[in-house]
Amino acid sequence: MDKLASMLHMTPAIFWMVAKVVIVFSAIMLLASVWTWVERRGSAMIQDRIGPNRAAIFGKIRLIGLSQLLADGIKFFFKEDLVPDDANKGLFWLAPFLAFVPALIGFAVIPFGKSFVSGGVTYHLSVLDPGNGMGLLYPMAIGGMAVYGVLLAAWSSNNKWSILGGMRASAAMVSYEIGMSLAVVSIFMTTGGYDPADVIKAQGHLPWAWNIVRQPLGFIVFFTCMYAETNRLPFDFAEGESEIVAGFNTEYGSMKFSLLALAEYSHLMTASALVATLFFGGWQVPFVQNPTVMLSVASFLLKMLFFAWVFVWVRWTLPRFRYDQLMHLGWKVMLPMSMVNLVFHAWRMSQGH
Amino acid sequence: MGVLVKKVELSWLDRTYVWPVMKGMAITFEHFIKQLFTPTSKRYTIQYPDMKKEIPEGYRGLHELKRFEDGAIKCVACFMCQEACPARCISIEAEEFSDLNITQGFEEKRPAIFKIDMLRCIYCGMCEEACPKDAIWLRKEYEVAAYDRLSMQYGKWDLMNTYAQADGKDRISQDPTPSVPRRTIVM
Repeated sequence: MDKLASMLHMTPAIFWMVAKVVIVFSAIMLLASVWTWVERRGSAMIQDRIGPNRAAIFGKIRLIGLSQLLADGIKFFFKEDLVPDDANKGLFWLAPFLAFVPALIGFAVIPFGKSFVSGGVTYHLSVLDPGNGMGLLYPMAIGGMAVYGVLLAAWSSNNKWSILGGMRASAAMVSYEIGMSLAVVSIFMTTGGYDPADVIKAQGHLPWAWNIVRQPLGFIVFFTCMYAETNRLPFDFAEGESEIVAGFNTEYGSMKFSLLALAEYSHLMTASALVATLFFGGWQVPFVQNPTVMLSVASFLLKMLFFAWVFVWVRWTLPRFRYDQLMHLGWKVMLPMSMVNLVFHAWRMSQGH
Repeated sequence: MGVLVKKVELSWLDRTYVWPVMKGMAITFEHFIKQLFTPTSKRYTIQYPDMKKEIPEGYRGLHELKRFEDGAIKCVACFMCQEACPARCISIEAEEFSDLNITQGFEEKRPAIFKIDMLRCIYCGMCEEACPKDAIWLRKEYEVAAYDRLSMQYGKWDLMNTYAQADGKDRISQDPTPSVPRRTIVM
């Protein structure tokens, strides 16, 4: 690796950093685009349909519908890039990036595998090394940034329906953030630190010591709020075909639209990685004390993809909430529940557990 | 008339919302797994150009003008179908073939032009019911399409040959000269 680094006129440390950034973010983007396929095929299977399976490369290679991704990509790429006359042009261009970037960079602190030592140097498998001082506060803060993407996309379109969708989506995101943060705070409290490496280490390799067992109430709150955070069903208030056309992305087309769609799925990936890290022991392999690096990465990927699948699964099972029901659930159920969770764990810690 | 609102008493388990959600998820997952392990041929979806639906008996598809064994048209140009047609898509012009007249037991009249406008036809089957000679049938072919309007005007020979291939018969393009009387007339 040193050789490769010197060939590229980089120090090994920088090379490792660049490699991590490229691999992690391209993997997330790839998974996000593959997840559009999973969503469509999965929903089809759930509803006893078949789903997209006819797109074919050279009219032959169908790849169980995966070529649909390519077809969609090409189609989006060659569509006319329309900007409405009365739109705020600058913000209109900026909004997809503001939606996409926070969804992606929230992943930066999450360790996706066990750290390993090679040639006297410790390599950490997360884009930002542990002990960076931000820890899991960072994805929370970045998650808050995602409101800007939705709201700016809605506002800059200069369209009533867009702004309605954007407003209520951002209201939902902001109000659910509190319950979610409190659920995370009680994890920080019992862990004694907010670095993801600490959180994972504190959970250990035994499944009954993971936070899902220790704090089931916190898990329910966090998991529910995650859906509101990522604007997924049953809380997808940014959209709503029957009420507000397509919601915040009504005026968007071509690559800008596809970037907004990709942002949703990247957000989903980051959220499921967060759930896996906080409540399911991150890269820990159940019942294996010292897993190999590859095994730990596989374990993390499996957990993350499972929760990403749960996102899809829930979407095609549950009906949507009404807006007042959403607010009721957020403020009157989720917030008190996470407060009870916090106080309960504080009390337990005071009793010396 | 007021709207009757049905109030349902929920048990505490249902009011938690978590348990019903898990029940629902179990149902969708069952569907998912079932569909995943069902071979394509046994799924509900009929992937049309590759697979075709089995047409039930009594289906009313594309028409066929029936013929006798020697290839002569059964239709006697009585205009019953044209009268019965609610869409008015049938237009017939009759002709006599005078030298083979009724005394010899041949049909005396046949359509010179028998045209059905498939764009107007509603496939109601009234022509089939009206026909005294059982000469027009609506059968199972349903892929009736063309690139232009003119080719949707089915003429006499088109209609006589619509099912020739399916039945293993020859395509015909002219009236044969009948050689055997089709019925015995007692004068």
